[in-house]
Amino acid sequence: MKRRNFIKLSLAASTSLVLPSLASGATTDYTKVKFDKNTYDTNAAQVIMIYLYGGASQLAGNLTNLDEIQDKSQSSYDYFRGITQTQNGFWQEAGGTHLEDMITAGDMTLFRTCYSKVREANNNKAHGACTVQNQKGSFNESSAGMVASLTDILSTNNAITEDSVMPFVTMEGESNFYSPGNATVPSYLRAVGLNQNLDNPYKRYVRYWFEYTSQERETTDYNKNDERGFDPAFNKTMNEMAQNNNNHIKIKNAFDKREPLSQFITQIDTAVTPDLGADAYPTNSTFAKTLEASIKVMANNPDTKVITMNTGGLGGWDDHNDARNYVTRCEGLYKSLKSSLAHLKALGKEQNISIMLFGEFGRNVNLNSALGWDHGNLQNFIVLGGKKYFTHRGVVGETQVDSSGAINRLYMKPTENSETFEPLSIAATLYKVFGITNPEILTDGNEAVVL
Amino acid sequence: MPSSSYRLAPLSDDEFNTLDEPTKLLVADKLLSTLFYGYSLSTLKEKINSGDFLSQVALGLKEETTDKDLLESTIIDEEKFYRPSGHSEAIDVLSRFYAAKDLDKYFFNNWVAYILTQTIMFSPAYELDSSHAPNVARVYNRLVTLLEDDTGMRFITYIHMASDDNWRRFRSPEDNGREMLEIYTLDGDDSHVPIAATALKNWKLDRDNDTLVVGLNENTQALSLFGTTIYNGDDFYRELVKSSSFTYGVVKRLVSFFFIDNTPAQIESITQSIVASKPETWQGILKQIVFSKEYLLHTTKAKSAEETYFSLTKKLEYKTRNNSIYYFKIALENMHQASMKYKLGKIERVPLDTLSFANYTKYIREEVLLRRSNPSYDNNHSHWARQGWSDSFISSDKIEIDSSDEVQTLHNLIDYIFEIIASRTATQDEMKMFDTLMLQDKDGVDEVVYFFDILDDGVNSSNIRNGDRYAQSVAYTVLDYLSRLEDTYIHKKVD
Repeated sequence: MKRRNFIKLSLAASTSLVLPSLASGATTDYTKVKFDKNTYDTNAAQVIMIYLYGGASQLAGNLTNLDEIQDKSQSSYDYFRGITQTQNGFWQEAGGTHLEDMITAGDMTLFRTCYSKVREANNNKAHGACTVQNQKGSFNESSAGMVASLTDILSTNNAITEDSVMPFVTMEGESNFYSPGNATVPSYLRAVGLNQNLDNPYKRYVRYWFEYTSQERETTDYNKNDERGFDPAFNKTMNEMAQNNNNHIKIKNAFDKREPLSQFITQIDTAVTPDLGADAYPTNSTFAKTLEASIKVMANNPDTKVITMNTGGLGGWDDHNDARNYVTRCEGLYKSLKSSLAHLKALGKEQNISIMLFGEFGRNVNLNSALGWDHGNLQNFIVLGGKKYFTHRGVVGETQVDSSGAINRLYMKPTENSETFEPLSIAATLYKVFGITNPEILTDGNEAVVL
Repeated sequence: MPSSSYRLAPLSDDEFNTLDEPTKLLVADKLLSTLFYGYSLSTLKEKINSGDFLSQVALGLKEETTDKDLLESTIIDEEKFYRPSGHSEAIDVLSRFYAAKDLDKYFFNNWVAYILTQTIMFSPAYELDSSHAPNVARVYNRLVTLLEDDTGMRFITYIHMASDDNWRRFRSPEDNGREMLEIYTLDGDDSHVPIAATALKNWKLDRDNDTLVVGLNENTQALSLFGTTIYNGDDFYRELVKSSSFTYGVVKRLVSFFFIDNTPAQIESITQSIVASKPETWQGILKQIVFSKEYLLHTTKAKSAEETYFSLTKKLEYKTRNNSIYYFKIALENMHQASMKYKLGKIERVPLDTLSFANYTKYIREEVLLRRSNPSYDNNHSHWARQGWSDSFISSDKIEIDSSDEVQTLHNLIDYIFEIIASRTATQDEMKMFDTLMLQDKDGVDEVVYFFDILDDGVNSSNIRNGDRYAQSVAYTVLDYLSRLEDTYIHKKVD
């Protein structure tokens, strides 16, 4: 085809593309949820959910099939310059030593067989759809995010109220965890955003002298932008008037939260991390700082029930090529998690604060021609801490290699008799620790993992 | 594409003219700020009252009036625009919208390129270690060049998919094949990935140099995809853009980008309307969206920071200092609206979580609305006092002055500022609120407190008229209030 013809190409467009979708569009019936206030109170659970965007390979936590993988892989795993198995089959160079330490201490469970039969049947290994589903805990992509659903249920049962201080915090901005769907999320319970430095953009610095009354201006240093100054009454009047006219839910909520958040950050920011010795957080790591800040927030504010975060600073996990830095990324990830456990223990919070780690999916295990891995369907689900309500089981699940023989189609999947669960069970697990006794009705029938 | 071919109903001049005056102002400002543009209030009202506002704007987008040599040399003038290494490419893109005077074809093509590079379809993705700052210029400038040449969207996409820049983002045959299918045709079927990967098996990004290398060992086995037979990477990309699902896919991507809060059913309906018009250009799709009744009348949408910022800079006759645009670029990152940074584009075009929005409103409040440009530093681009709105935006010739009524004149100024920012006048309650601060009772009569008295013809020691200085106090106060109002940050629907 000549270039010019191609440039001007005009083809009839189809108007009937139907995408494969599992979305039913049905709304969630929250009236059927059973909530046990005793469990909620006893657990006093606080959960940090870390999402590995991109789909992290499961190999750091599972080298049990390595021989067969190496035998069938397109490119040699020698590329990684060191792939040593630890006692439990972790990848030593990829943080495996830290995983072993946490398992040995009884602080962690690593599930190796978080696997989606539904997606396998539907040929779905797309980032977008899998992230939406996993963060909502449902294959119905128009349903509410799991934190939004939790908000609805806890507020309906008066477990959290208007007096709760920052019950839900995002360290990553907006995500599907908070998609409202048909959940009822009162403005005062909407998630607030913080960052790893606990920066305070909520504080207003600019004030002008002419916004003060003549009486207010009689005070010395009345408009100094520090503790000597004060907000003029007119400032409050403007806030109230503006909020009377603001109707957009998110914007109104953001303005409502501005001043309380400014004060909250000022207070939390003074908290000091104890000396963790050899388990000190890695330096120069945005991820480690975010995790540390999250624990500071939770430890100093029991009202904060869930914090969601990503692994920003470590890099993404979509290792289609040149996967060697997956190894160093995992080392940073698991070292930070070990530090966070030491942090929790130093504060005496390892009983009620837990950390859950997962992503959209795991990866194919064929090391391709670009020295990376395509999307897979089996991932690790890691749970730490929360020892008041979790009985840690060490390593759970057994895997095997599945190969169709086609190029780049080399996967891991659960063995026939292995314990296994859909990724939606992670949402069910979250619901369960907060006292919901039938979480499966929110997660398309998938029950909480056994812990 | 002529507007007569649009299947997503455009708002006509006649329909626009039947709207009441405040609604006309709202709709006109919505259209202009969506395009990163704005007029002074008097000019805008004049254009609205012409009777053919919408068609004049549309006509303007077809004609090139910009002195491109002047504009392009201005934005790379280091004295005016600080362009540090690693940032200059994005700063040039942003500076151009600030410096461009005319809303013409060149401006529009730049806007189209900008929108495309914010989406998953064309994001240069400089956050990736395999991508680099020059990728911003490579992707963006190539888009503008091709758009200026009236190139169709299929060819533009084909060129992009086969470029080093795209391979720096999606770097292996199966990754690139998978993502191209999903991004442009919304095909998430995993069974198609091995087919695409086989067609692309000899394509590779050399990571030592981040350069695309296409080997000679191309696939020779017949593959079935898009309802046809393909063999190699060129076939894959070409047939993808020729496929029936391409138009639907890219239209839906853009519709979702503009109709953020609409329901899936509404997005589907809008998409189908545009697809039915058989668009072949990016401009054809985007014009249908922004001139549509659905968008202009029936859609509420958070304004992107660019929409707010560039519109305000035009309306407030705002002056930058040399590093203003650099800091705007940094601020966009804090707002989680970074331009051309993300691998998957702006999945949330305008994040409104508390942290993102706090950074957004703080920037608009403290760096735009509450910054006045000191005219003494007009020619000193490095001085901080140059940055801010110009006194000319509140000059006495722009305000309805009633020299016999200082209170009414004050109210006129307040309403004038409201109309510029919020496309409406102050409510009674709002005016009463300002009165409590700006008026005082004297013998049972309201009089304006002296430092808000814009009729004061006295002069200070620098021979500056008092009333002009006091107008600034009014402006600061009203703009401070408006910075807390949602009208500054959202495009509102009419009905």
